[in-house]
Amino acid sequence: RTRKEKLRVQYPSLAMSGVGEEEENAAELKIGDEFLKAKCLMNCEVSLILEHKYEQLQLVSEDPMNQVSQVFEKSLQYVKRFSRYKNPDAVRQVREILSRHQLTEFELCVLGNLCPETAEEAVAMVPSLKTKGRAHSDEAIEKMLNDLSLVKRFE
Amino acid sequence: MFCLSEMEDTVRVPPDLLNLPLEVAIKKVLQKLLLNKVLSIGLCVSIYDIKSAEGGFVLPGDGPATYKVRFIIVVFRPFVGEVIAARFKESDSNGLRLTLGFFEDIYVPAPLIPRPNRCEPDPYNRNQMRWVWIFEEQEYIIDDSCQINFRVENISYPPVPTEQAEDAKPFAPMVITGTIDDDGLGPVSWWEGCSERNNEDDDT
Repeated sequence: RTRKEKLRVQYPSLAMSGVGEEEENAAELKIGDEFLKAKCLMNCEVSLILEHKYEQLQLVSEDPMNQVSQVFEKSLQYVKRFSRYKNPDAVRQVREILSRHQLTEFELCVLGNLCPETAEEAVAMVPSLKTKGRAHSDEAIEKMLNDLSLVKRFE
Repeated sequence: MFCLSEMEDTVRVPPDLLNLPLEVAIKKVLQKLLLNKVLSIGLCVSIYDIKSAEGGFVLPGDGPATYKVRFIIVVFRPFVGEVIAARFKESDSNGLRLTLGFFEDIYVPAPLIPRPNRCEPDPYNRNQMRWVWIFEEQEYIIDDSCQINFRVENISYPPVPTEQAEDAKPFAPMVITGTIDDDGLGPVSWWEGCSERNNEDDDT
């Protein structure tokens, strides 16, 4: 089952927190209902979400770090460090590409997080790609990794 | 990995927050309640969105307004079998301790460190033992020089202790046991030269 529709993450409406910024100005990724049911996020997606939240806090408060707990700040640090894809379009493309390959949510996120460069590496990280009954040939995996590497190049 | 989790709960908003926009007040209460707590679905790192809030009734004899709230949180939820990127934190004769920054209770016990290996006093840190993997007559020290990939072998949720000795380690509500004894695991420098896999601006 392939999902062609773009998956977008909806940020909490800035208007409700009293800031009144227009939606067009906010970095926008929207989550479709389907995705919400599945629920697993890649580090690069979490990075965009947490960064946006941090920016929101900066707008409403002079000292956002007082409001933002250590766990938030350190999680943001972690996902920023361990994300290969930084801009929202690239992140969207990564999920789109991975979604075309009959992966589970879990497999999609592990691959998106660890960015293996060869089929061999991909299988080492996600052995379930090769379990019986699944059609992931090395060629198919290489094609997928190749598509991903193109996203990075044009970021 | 990180997940979104939808929840429903009763939230009591104390009177001193009621002058704020409702969503902001509820978020503040939820943050205090849930941030950095280990729930059944994982470690809560952020309140993502408030979907709905009903009620607002003040119960007799009770100051706070009570709301039934549907909301979504971002949690860190490890999966057994998941390969996760981490950094070295410390090591002793039992094995390694790894860290994600926001979560530090990851242990790689000695049997899950590739062999042959040896454990020796760390010449740079008197209090620590360091682990060295020996492969084809080369020695590979396990330290904080680069990203370490580990695979989750087990996740445990120790019960909250009723009493703790004064010098006891802080209570860890979730403990991950990991392995670095497999293809692609361990320090990334073992697998591809010394460059980091992902963006690495500075060492923190």
